[in-house]
Amino acid sequence: MPQTKVLLVDDEIEFASALAERLQLRNYDVKVGHTAIEAMGFIHQFVPDVVVLDLKIPGMDGLEALKTIKKLDPTIEVIMLTGHGDVLSVEEGMKSGAFEYIMKPIDIGELTSKIDKAKKKRINV
Amino acid sequence: MSEHNEQEEEKNKKPKIYNFLRVLFHPHDFLGILSEDRYKSLKIRIVLIEAMLSLLPLFIVVTISYFWFQQILKDDFKNQLKWELENTKQSIEFFLEERVSILRFITSSYTHEQLSDQRTLSDIFTKFKREFPGLVDIGVIDADGIQRTYSGPYRLAGADYSDQTWFNEIVIRSSNLSDVFMGFRKIPHFAIAVKREVPDKGTFWILRATIDMKTLQKYASAINIRENDDVFIINREGVLQTPSRFHGNVLEQYKEIFSFPEDNLSIKEAGQSEGTCDICGYAPIKNTPWILVAVIRSSPYAKIPNIFRNELFFITIISVFFSIAVTIALVQTVVNRIKKADQAREAAIAETEHAGKMASIGRLAAGVAHEINNPLAIINEKAGLMKDILEGSRDMQQNREKFLSLISGIFDSINRCRTVTHRLLGFSRRMDISHDTIDINDALKEVIEFLEKEIIYRNIRLDLDLKKDLPRVVTDKGQLQQVFLNIINNAIDAVEEGGLIQISSYSKDEHFVRVSIKDNGRGIPRDKLKHIFEPFYTTKEKGKGTGLGLSISYGIVQRLGGSIHVESEVNKGTTFFVDIPILSETV
Repeated sequence: MPQTKVLLVDDEIEFASALAERLQLRNYDVKVGHTAIEAMGFIHQFVPDVVVLDLKIPGMDGLEALKTIKKLDPTIEVIMLTGHGDVLSVEEGMKSGAFEYIMKPIDIGELTSKIDKAKKKRINV
Repeated sequence: MSEHNEQEEEKNKKPKIYNFLRVLFHPHDFLGILSEDRYKSLKIRIVLIEAMLSLLPLFIVVTISYFWFQQILKDDFKNQLKWELENTKQSIEFFLEERVSILRFITSSYTHEQLSDQRTLSDIFTKFKREFPGLVDIGVIDADGIQRTYSGPYRLAGADYSDQTWFNEIVIRSSNLSDVFMGFRKIPHFAIAVKREVPDKGTFWILRATIDMKTLQKYASAINIRENDDVFIINREGVLQTPSRFHGNVLEQYKEIFSFPEDNLSIKEAGQSEGTCDICGYAPIKNTPWILVAVIRSSPYAKIPNIFRNELFFITIISVFFSIAVTIALVQTVVNRIKKADQAREAAIAETEHAGKMASIGRLAAGVAHEINNPLAIINEKAGLMKDILEGSRDMQQNREKFLSLISGIFDSINRCRTVTHRLLGFSRRMDISHDTIDINDALKEVIEFLEKEIIYRNIRLDLDLKKDLPRVVTDKGQLQQVFLNIINNAIDAVEEGGLIQISSYSKDEHFVRVSIKDNGRGIPRDKLKHIFEPFYTTKEKGKGTGLGLSISYGIVQRLGGSIHVESEVNKGTTFFVDIPILSETV
């Protein structure tokens, strides 16, 4: 089974780099984008299986980024990251086609299991 | 410079007056009277002002009418006195005129020669005296002033009157009335003399009768007088003509200073300082040198009849009583209303303040939680990475276990922080509320089922009083249950083992269903009661509660359009009331 390609989008560099490294240790192919534009670039080049997307990123609203990704490639699954209790955005995100959401600070096991589920779903599609 | 000072002074003056008025009308500020006593002082002030306003005119009217009545009595008395004086004066005038007429009659009926006869004169004297008691004697005097014939008890025949004033006067006039005098007779008397001209001889003779002063006195005494009053006659020189009670005996000088009235009867009122009389009546007697004087000192008019005084007193007392009673009743009502309004306003202000405070606390908590959450996430990832690296490598063999346990400690703390921040964010978040149509009782029962084990374990009695046929409410079931769970959990923590928890549901009014959760636990002190909905406020022992349960419940109920409040008494227990709108309006 090939490595699952994960695109991590978060403007907190420290957070994103540490999380990326942890995922890599768990045998994921991880790329990190700090802005929405950066992330959009990776969609074409990197073609991730799963995008872990923070809902508050500079450049573009997280929700918009989600919608754009889904438009570009509906098979890419998106897991939303939220640092605050904005349940409305989460719900809207879910409606817009996000696969899951997870609240910061995250439990690495929870995240990986969700990524794996998303990957499985993508393969099945 | 001085002008400047003056202006300063002017400025200082105003506040002084202002302060004085302020103290007068707001004594509670000045005296530092607060709360309950403030209303009492307000009551007292209003009663005093009202009583003053209503009683002052009453007293003025009563006083005026009292003195007015006294004045009427005085005037009345004066009129009566005047009338009596007038009467007496006329009587005396009539009496004297009569005497003069009789003497004239005698002088015209008899000739000088006839009257010079002692027997005839004695005869006339006897008859005269029989008809008119008080006659002392009678005599005939010739033009030389020598009394030629005399009839009476004294031996006065031959007495010479030529150098006496009355004789000189009668030469000019036709008749004369003398002052009272002692004369030869040594008793106070007065004389009436009538002149008879003899034209053919060019001479005249005089018939003179003396009358006892007592006759006059009798008239004066006829005036109805009281103990301290005095009635007497004086002549124009102020010499007493009749004895008086207080102003000396006959022929003594009347000491009171007064201007003699000319003709008419006059009543004079003297001030206390001016003389001994309050009211003095002077009645000059016509054709005589005499003045009838009445000195009234007993002031009978001052004695207002008891009936009038009693009535006045009675009416005043009743009026005072009624006006004070009515004022007190009115003031009581008004001040109580003010008090109630004040209390309602204070309660409303407190409510608003509380709601506002809760809202800002919520915002603050959410902001803090949010700001903490991001670095927390970083710490979490860094620690996680450290752990991953340690687990994946063979380095640092000797410290590996130590580091792993340290990292695990970091995770524990992160988890604790996460619980708090996530719950806090939940407290403030705007949630999409689901609209379930639910039976409150079913929702309650589910929550209770969830807690049943704990309740049985702690041997707590649970008393359910759930009204049947409650209207179904449209609300968010899950969140509402969260609220019930929090409150019942608190109740379980609050009661001792074997305590009692009563849960009841009923319709509060047509818009709300109320759930009350009552425990008989230790209760919450008053000062803590107002803080219990604030986040992180807990009375539970450390580590047992986060202090968020009630604040989250508060937030939820608020969002569901309901309200939550609490009543508590130390050592008796606490009751929470949750009012749930039947038709939820999302706030």
